[in-house]
Amino acid sequence: MPLYMCNAAKGAISAEAKSKIAADVTRIHCEVTGAPATFVHVFFFEEAEHMPLDGHGAVLFGTIRGGRTDAQKVQMKDEMQEAIRLQAGVPQEKISVLIAETPANWVMEGGDLLPEPGEEAEWLKAHEAKVAEARTT
Amino acid sequence: MTRCVCLVQEGQTPDERKTILGGLLNTYSERAFGEGADINWVTVPAGSGFTAAQPSTSSIVSFTAPQAVEQGVRTSLLTDLCDLWMDETGCSLDEIVAVINDPRD
Repeated sequence: MPLYMCNAAKGAISAEAKSKIAADVTRIHCEVTGAPATFVHVFFFEEAEHMPLDGHGAVLFGTIRGGRTDAQKVQMKDEMQEAIRLQAGVPQEKISVLIAETPANWVMEGGDLLPEPGEEAEWLKAHEAKVAEARTT
Repeated sequence: MTRCVCLVQEGQTPDERKTILGGLLNTYSERAFGEGADINWVTVPAGSGFTAAQPSTSSIVSFTAPQAVEQGVRTSLLTDLCDLWMDETGCSLDEIVAVINDPRD
């Protein structure tokens, strides 16, 4: 978590563009929030029934940990919309970006509850130590 | 029925394994929430899943509980869910994301 799911019209986003958009979405999320890249999942679909396009060329739906400011969310939405426009050539007005929040302690990743925003560095340090210990036992 | 969404990468979870996992998740749901699971499998097409901007091998399993869950109980249930998934799929701890949502209004 975060999980960003992108649904688009068939063929609207090439394989190359998917890779570039995934890199951009990951970078934007990390730059704005300070979260580590290892948390960021970006999944693409084409005309998926679980994410109606409702006339859009592409819809990006992000589920992120709660606790981010409105300004952070607006910045992420704007920059991610621009990334999709640039990389896939979908007109800006045809791109919808939505962000929803989930409490961090509702999610377990790497065997640990996710940290609250701002506590990522301590979490990563503890997690990496735990993984290293598991490898030696 | 408890709502459950399983996001998996194409080619990682063959149909036979989905059947087994479905049974295990249903039993888990009955034990955890007192009712079976309505499971929605969503497959991420090959080449379309990325984690840390690299090709993803992650699965995401998300339950929505019928009632609000106390946090200590949630933590224990999440651990059980990760263990269930790793035992059946052979994936590593870093390849499973588990979520237990409270019901939304």
